Amino acid sequence: MNLDIRELIYIILALPLVFSAISAANFLGRNVLHWLNRLVATGVGAAIVMLLMTFDANIPFAGQYIYLDALSMWMLMIIGTLYFAFAWTSKAYLDRDTNKRYGYLRRFGYLEGRFYALSHIFVWIMFLVVLVNNLGLMWVTIEATTLVSALLVAFKFTRTSLEATWKYVMVCTVGICLALLGTIIVYYIQLTTMGSDSPLNWLYMVEHSKNIDPVMAKFAFCFLFVGYGTKIGLAPMHAWLPDAHSEAPALTSGLLSGSLCICAIYVLIRNIVILMPSIGIDFISGLCLFFGIFTIAVAVPFVVVQRDIKRMLAYSSMENFGLMVAGLGLFVPIAAQAMLLHMFNHALVKYSLFYTAGTIMEEYGTKNMMRIHGMMVQVPRTACFLLLSIVAILGMPPFGVFFSKFYMIYGFFTAEHPWLGVITLILLAGMLIGILYHILRMMGGQSKKKSSGELFGVIDSLTIAGLLIFSGIASAGLSEITVLNRLLEAAAKIVLGGVA
Amino acid sequence: MDYLVVFLVLVVFLQTRVTDLKRAVICLASQSVIIAIACFVIGFSHGNDIHAVMPGVLTLIVKVIFIPGAVYRLVNKLKNEREIVSASNVNYSTMAAALFLVMGYALVERLMPGSVGRDIVAASILMIMTGLSLMVLRKRAIIQICGLITLENGIYLLGLLMTEGLPLVVELGVFLDVLIAVVVLVILTSRMRLSFMTTDTSVMKKLKG
Repeated sequence: MNLDIRELIYIILALPLVFSAISAANFLGRNVLHWLNRLVATGVGAAIVMLLMTFDANIPFAGQYIYLDALSMWMLMIIGTLYFAFAWTSKAYLDRDTNKRYGYLRRFGYLEGRFYALSHIFVWIMFLVVLVNNLGLMWVTIEATTLVSALLVAFKFTRTSLEATWKYVMVCTVGICLALLGTIIVYYIQLTTMGSDSPLNWLYMVEHSKNIDPVMAKFAFCFLFVGYGTKIGLAPMHAWLPDAHSEAPALTSGLLSGSLCICAIYVLIRNIVILMPSIGIDFISGLCLFFGIFTIAVAVPFVVVQRDIKRMLAYSSMENFGLMVAGLGLFVPIAAQAMLLHMFNHALVKYSLFYTAGTIMEEYGTKNMMRIHGMMVQVPRTACFLLLSIVAILGMPPFGVFFSKFYMIYGFFTAEHPWLGVITLILLAGMLIGILYHILRMMGGQSKKKSSGELFGVIDSLTIAGLLIFSGIASAGLSEITVLNRLLEAAAKIVLGGVA
Repeated sequence: MDYLVVFLVLVVFLQTRVTDLKRAVICLASQSVIIAIACFVIGFSHGNDIHAVMPGVLTLIVKVIFIPGAVYRLVNKLKNEREIVSASNVNYSTMAAALFLVMGYALVERLMPGSVGRDIVAASILMIMTGLSLMVLRKRAIIQICGLITLENGIYLLGLLMTEGLPLVVELGVFLDVLIAVVVLVILTSRMRLSFMTTDTSVMKKLKG
């Protein structure tokens, strides 16, 4: 089979859409649905791998509405990996949800089809975010991800999930509306300086972005930063993040944390590349560094006093997004590469963490970490995965996050912000102490509350282990894997402003 | 155009005064009618092709008929749903709106003195800020939805003035998003009525820290 890039992109965009239509129609049996779900995600994953092989990182592909360069290919790879993991863990999660204590779906068999339909549409829209070539369409797709994922967050319609969703939709929509205002100002800049050819087309704007008015550009950048920053979960605008991540079904939390927020970072990067030549690096860099590190600083105390395991993971996500935005603000090649690598590692590890947390919630019937003890004895496999993924997310050596965090800190020192590097290190250490304290308490000790036994099956264990190993191998051996290395270098070059 | 701005400001102020949910929805619809007329005026002054008519027609369909219709149907299902808060909240939002109007004009004078669309820019700043204050100060879910649409209308009006409307594809996408947003919010509100027996969002305060 020899498919060219266009055909592969069509496959990637067609399969999830068709599947979600089928599962929304809800005429398939449950087993067929589960297998078809896996088949579709595997097909999309295979298409992305083929795309990765045929695609030359330095030659972008431009269609009428579609644009694929190294940066979008990198994002496509992250989302595709999570999509694959989602499909291979979903059956275990949904089955569990139909018979154990939290069993909600048991009473409503038809909801499984709806869950699949919404999740696949959600992933499909994220594919669109990274594939469209137009800043306006990027805005439209980001807003669409909010709305679709809102239905997923509220999927069980419990009181707390309703509250979380209401906050999520309200805060994010307001933020995204501000980003719309920013996009409108960018369009105004384009109309006044470049004429009305190819409106809001990213490539066209990058090529003609030399002589735009710096005052207007700054104005636009502030709105865009606040708007997309809300969606990323940066500190003063983060109110929705811990609620939405902790109340959503575990699979959705994994997708939200792993891929949705970095899609917002991606769109922010696209806008920054256009505005950077006229605003100058200092302004952008200052804002990104301040809000990035502020986000980490806000997350740390909440982790330490946290009782709810998924909320703790949500704050850990915030810490990582803060680190990514700070890395973006450094504007040195090593930090840009580390940021992209960190997106990849964080997505994989955080997905496995949220999945494991969901399993623990089923096993113990509670989210409260203070009531969970003795996991090592009662549920050894879950405990093992939890410990491994926590060690991974905190950035300890054998795992991928170690490398990306290390390069990032290195970036702080090469970019002549050594003090910020020191502050970040201290904050990360605080994070590590806070999280490890809670997790180690859960591991040992005598349990007052009895668990309902090991729930990790074979397929989901393999998937989670695969995610952890993949992230480790890909980051440790990055310089040996030519495809990824070239892709990463080209993507970092785009982030820093040179079009591939 | 001047009359439109006057009516718009009037409607926005009314929006901050009403506590009855049905009247709030009607206010929202009439506000969108004014935006639609503004779309037609601005559109026809720049040309006669499809792009001149499209935003106005879409605004009419989506924001005048569909969104208020959906919210109105929801309001009909709610019984005894008058906003039961002291009048001070209402007064605060009206006063805030007045401040925003002054602030809007001051900003316009500072940023672009003597420009043509001065009143429209001030009105759209008023709408954006008032929408925000409705969402923050008021507790009813329906009023908050109205605030969100007001905010969106304000941004849309500003965009219309600055750029004569976004590119057509993007414009369609924006309308689609607003439509889906309202559908999602209506679903959430009716669920809220089932779970909490009220649509007062101040009962939702369990998630903290």
